[in-house]
Amino acid sequence: MTTMTVDVPGEGELVVRGEIDMSNSAEFAGAIDTALGDSGGSGPLTVDLTAVEYLDSAGIHVLLTRASRIVVVTSPLLLPVLTICGLPQVTSVRCVDD
Amino acid sequence: VTSEGVTPTGSGWIPAFAHDEVGRDLSEVDWSTTPLGAPATWPQSLQTAVSILVSSRFSMWMAWGPQLTFFCNAAYRRDTLGRKYPWALGRPAREVWAEIWPDIGPRIESVLATGTATWDEALLLFLERSGYSEESYHTFSYSPLRDETGRVVGMLCVVSEETDRVIGERRMGTLRDLGSDPSIARTEREWLDFAGDRLARNRRDLPFTMTYLFQSDGRAQLAGATGFGRLPADEVGHAWPAVAAARGEAVLTDLDPAMPAGDWAEGPQQALVVPLLQQGAPPFGFFVTGLNRYRPLDQGYRGFVELAAGHVAAGIAGARSYQAQLRRAEELAELDRAKTTFFSNVSHEFRTPLSLIVGPVQSLLDRPGVPDEGMRDELELIKRNGLRLGKLVNTLLDFSRIEAGRMQAQFEPADLAAATTELTSVFRSAIEKAGLAFVVDCPPLPRPVALDRSLWEKVVLNLLSNALKFTFDGGITVRLRADGEYAELGVADTGIGIAAEELPRLFERFHRIENARSRSNEGSGIGLALVLELVNLHGGTVTADSTLGHGTTLTVRVPFAPEGTRITAQSGPTALSATADPFLQEALRWVPAAPEPVGYTAAAGVASRVLVVDDNADMRDYLTRLLATAGHRVSTAADGEAALDAVRADEPDLVISDVMMPRLDGLHFVAALRADARTASIPVILLSARAGQEASIEGLDSGADDYLVKPFSAAELVARVRANIELAQVRTHHARWRAALVDSLQEAFFIADEDGTIVEINAAFARILGFGPDGLPYAPPHPWWPDARTDPDGHQAMAEAFASADHQTRARFTLPVTHRDGHRVWVAVALSLVSNPDTGDKVIVGTFRDITAEHYAIQRESALSTLSTRLSEADSLTEALAAALDELRSRWPATAVRAVVFDRHGRPSLMSTGPHQDWGDLTDQQRAALTAVREQPLLAPIVDPRAGGPVVCLEHPEGLLALSLEVSAHRPFTTEDQTLLALLAAHLGQGLHRVHQIHQQRETALALQRAILGPAHLPDGFVVRYEPATRPLQVGGDWYDAVTLADGRIGIVVGDCVGRGLEAATIMGQLRSACRALLLKDPRPDEVLTGLDRFADGLPGAACTTVFCGVFDPASRCLTYASAGHPPGILVDPDGSVHLLDGANSLPLAVQAGTRHSPARVTIAARATLLLYTDGLVERRGTSIDAGIRHVADIVRDSRHISIHELAARVMTHRTPPDGYVDDVAMLVYRHPAPLQVAFPADANQLAPVRHALRHWLSECALPTELIQDVLVAAGEACANAIEHGHRHRPDGTIRLVAEAATDRLTVQVTDTGEWKEPEPSLHRGRGLALMRAVMHHVTVTPGPDGTVVTMDTRITP
Repeated sequence: MTTMTVDVPGEGELVVRGEIDMSNSAEFAGAIDTALGDSGGSGPLTVDLTAVEYLDSAGIHVLLTRASRIVVVTSPLLLPVLTICGLPQVTSVRCVDD
Repeated sequence: VTSEGVTPTGSGWIPAFAHDEVGRDLSEVDWSTTPLGAPATWPQSLQTAVSILVSSRFSMWMAWGPQLTFFCNAAYRRDTLGRKYPWALGRPAREVWAEIWPDIGPRIESVLATGTATWDEALLLFLERSGYSEESYHTFSYSPLRDETGRVVGMLCVVSEETDRVIGERRMGTLRDLGSDPSIARTEREWLDFAGDRLARNRRDLPFTMTYLFQSDGRAQLAGATGFGRLPADEVGHAWPAVAAARGEAVLTDLDPAMPAGDWAEGPQQALVVPLLQQGAPPFGFFVTGLNRYRPLDQGYRGFVELAAGHVAAGIAGARSYQAQLRRAEELAELDRAKTTFFSNVSHEFRTPLSLIVGPVQSLLDRPGVPDEGMRDELELIKRNGLRLGKLVNTLLDFSRIEAGRMQAQFEPADLAAATTELTSVFRSAIEKAGLAFVVDCPPLPRPVALDRSLWEKVVLNLLSNALKFTFDGGITVRLRADGEYAELGVADTGIGIAAEELPRLFERFHRIENARSRSNEGSGIGLALVLELVNLHGGTVTADSTLGHGTTLTVRVPFAPEGTRITAQSGPTALSATADPFLQEALRWVPAAPEPVGYTAAAGVASRVLVVDDNADMRDYLTRLLATAGHRVSTAADGEAALDAVRADEPDLVISDVMMPRLDGLHFVAALRADARTASIPVILLSARAGQEASIEGLDSGADDYLVKPFSAAELVARVRANIELAQVRTHHARWRAALVDSLQEAFFIADEDGTIVEINAAFARILGFGPDGLPYAPPHPWWPDARTDPDGHQAMAEAFASADHQTRARFTLPVTHRDGHRVWVAVALSLVSNPDTGDKVIVGTFRDITAEHYAIQRESALSTLSTRLSEADSLTEALAAALDELRSRWPATAVRAVVFDRHGRPSLMSTGPHQDWGDLTDQQRAALTAVREQPLLAPIVDPRAGGPVVCLEHPEGLLALSLEVSAHRPFTTEDQTLLALLAAHLGQGLHRVHQIHQQRETALALQRAILGPAHLPDGFVVRYEPATRPLQVGGDWYDAVTLADGRIGIVVGDCVGRGLEAATIMGQLRSACRALLLKDPRPDEVLTGLDRFADGLPGAACTTVFCGVFDPASRCLTYASAGHPPGILVDPDGSVHLLDGANSLPLAVQAGTRHSPARVTIAARATLLLYTDGLVERRGTSIDAGIRHVADIVRDSRHISIHELAARVMTHRTPPDGYVDDVAMLVYRHPAPLQVAFPADANQLAPVRHALRHWLSECALPTELIQDVLVAAGEACANAIEHGHRHRPDGTIRLVAEAATDRLTVQVTDTGEWKEPEPSLHRGRGLALMRAVMHHVTVTPGPDGTVVTMDTRITP
């Protein structure tokens, strides 16, 4: 069972930990959408993926379909995958060292 | 002519003049002085006429106006006008052609007056155009020219000059006349008269001729003349240049005008003198001709005179040669007459003494009580030869009479059929004795024939005698028929026939056909000539019809007597005997009454052997008696050919031979004897009837030792025979000694000339090969050579052996030969090339030693040993049988060898050489033969034609084996072959049983070894190999083991028991079990070995076993190991560095009590390769074990990038010795980590655990974090795909993931069991595939009916 935890440290910010794959991508999408709804559209939602150890194409799909409303913070681990899928071209992707 | 380049000049030019030279010249004429006036004033009619004239290329002239002013064109100028141009232009025609005006003037007048055209053909006109009056011929037409008013004011002449044609034809006619029929002129005079007559017909070219002939004194004598009324006096000849003519030169000479003029008004001014040439000799004389003064002496004229003279000369030559021939013929006729007279006289002279010989002899014979048989024989001999001589004399006399016209024939009407039948009956006995059929078909004829009976007898007897003489097989047919007014008698034989070119001369007197095969060479060639003469006397004819080799038919036709004639001639036997008897006696002597004895007459003591060669039986008998009486042993031959055969079969001491004989005459016979080295030294005495020094020189030249002329005295002959034999014996003493020596040899001995023809052999040769001296010489290929068809190799070997003797002084071979009776003999051949010191000729001297028995013994030994070897090499029954069949096939050699095994239930299974065949592929006959042979006794070969050769039956481990050899029909299956096949079959049977036993043992052993060798299931990451020793294929004592221990560590063992076979395998099994038990109890390698040492100590045969034992902890990658005398393990790191695990070595098991085994440790790097093995892998004869280990390590290092399965295979392959492993090999390969293998249900919830397992395995591989993440993403996408798409319709399906790491490469394979369509557009799964491809080095998706395989790999960079 793939495990993921979601944290909302403040308005307009979402921190995700764990792994995201096909089995929990819907959950991941739901978490982002909830956070977006809560923020009431005042600004882009920052999705912090620095603590995500694994992200597959299902998860990237979730990010790409919401790219206009989010900005992404990632660790170097996920950066290649996100770059391959073209996410940096549609939204801000910031990479922070561990 | 074109106008180009010609400029019109002068004032008188008008367009009608055209632009050529004539036109220009016309324009330059001062026309104002002519009646025509200036051209510009000319009427159009004139201009038109001039224009036509000038532009025509046909030769023309015209005249116009009152003075007939002359115009002409270029063609006329060229052909006719000559020097008169351009003077003639514009002149009156009468002036221009003044010299012929009398001829043409009237014609022109006529045209002008009547307006009608004239026509003249080849009119002779004397033109003055070349500076002399010239004979010329013209064909022309004058036609009127009219002015504008229609008045005739001029004429146009169209002309062609024909001088050349007319004169050419005239001269040709003369030459033709001269050559027309020279045969009428038989003498020189006749010819000269004939030629003169012909020459006189051409008085234009030859106004006069004179023919002079040189006399024997060199003076020229006038022999003929033409053109003169009367032959001129001889003095005329002296004026000619005779000397130059005698040298063969032609001379032109000036003449007195007084010479005859021929057809001309004036005589010739010159004469041409040409020689009368003859081939190869000075000229006969010379020919003078006066030359036509109206023609130039051009090449044509000169050539004509020379040809005419040539004809005259040829005629003279012909006449002189005819005269010479005539004289010669007359001389010959005179000679012939003289000869006939001489013959006639001599023949008469012969008759008297002959009568006085034959008469008294007959009375002696008739006298009762003639004492002894021998004397009677001799008297008969005298009588017979007297009669023969008489017959010949009578024939010659007949000729003489006929020649002299004195033959007095007495014609009486006779019954030709009766007369002929009677005559044939005389000859019947002789013909039938000769073994020929004799058919007489003479039915009565309707009318009698006017016949001289005595002459007819000679006709018929000669014809029959002739037929018998030349006929050896078949028969003779006499047929009489009426054919109109003639009776026709045909005598047909089936004899040798006569060549077409000889037929015309058949009836010529004394003509004999050379070298014709006949019963006797005697005869004068006169018989058929006489027949012709005699038949001619009867008013009849004789014709011959013959085909060479098939026979001859002579047909006589004689006229019947006039209608109503009655037969008056009486017939009776008494009437014919006198003539017929000599014919019959002669014929009987050609046909031996009884076969003459072959071989030499008996004589007491060591007599000399003499061969008498004569075609006359009487002479043979006489000489035989004479020489036998003198103490010789005599043999006879009837001609040279027979004599040669006799000499070669049995060499005589001396030969006496006649010279004239049929087939091969005496001179050629002697030459043949001398040409053959074996017979060259036999003394020969020639006998001949031809006397004279030349004849005897010819005889001695041919090589005869002596020469006797018939008649000879008996005493002289006997003396010469003795002298020659003694001389030869002295000469040949050495040769005889040599011959005796050679004959005493036990080996076949022969001498051959350089080309291999065998000319001499000894007695042993005939014994060993069956070919005796009677067949000599034997030209290669010798009859005992192996047949080129059935044994091409043997034939070739023999040919090469002989060929090699040419350039090798000594050569030895063992070869098969064929005895005359057909059986095969093996001989040891020794050949030497030696030179004859006298002649320098090279000869081959050789011996054959019969080694047949030895050969077959050796062959049997060799066949058995080869078969044994091949059987021993076989590992299975099939292999053994195949090898045996192959061996049998090449041994015989056979075209095919088949073996059928009938199992216990009688089911056949076939094996054959060549292309694969099943039992069903065989013919019914082959199957029948192979089935039937089971009824035969075992191992008893029989030849069954249905199988195409021998078949034999033997025991096979699985039933009965029927064996058949298909051999060449030409190759006999001999007793030796039968023995050999039985032997081989027995051997094969034993061999098959042995192979079968060994095979069974090995099968058992292998099954056992597999059972005890190693675990059925190995821990992951291990690959093992076991290879038994190849030859003999045996189980061995090597083993390997790998076992997962309770704490997750893995125990690894490789061991090697000493020895092979079942015993070693048994010990190995016990040690292996003990080792595993010890490991499970206490996983410390040193302790395991110590325990095993103790165990082995109590196990017989276990001593010296080597063992490598290790314990590996996958978590720490630490390997603890100990080795009991075992070769070190090989460890290769990912970077290629090699480590040998030699840190804990001690003695092998049970070698020394209390051996201490201590452990060593090594950390195995991730993706390193560990290889453990037994010494069979590294030990090679001739190289050190270290070299073997290094080689194996190199292979492992070079293969560290490939999977360990492939690596293991590669090591085994590369280390396989050429003939297979001599020792068994156990090998164990491990690479850490072991490949990851996961199988999971197609459920998204499985993704996380699979990912965790993969992450763990990847970390064991010691890979960089980025690479781990890439592999995790790629593998995750592949698994997600498999779940989402591959198993959309089959949620219960299973997905497998396999990951394997080599040194520099990592491979992941995901396999599902569903359909996997890709890529599906606009879905994120499509992105998943792109992701896989982006992060992995290589991705392939292979859809299949049972699922899809995704294979991905990536490089590992350190």
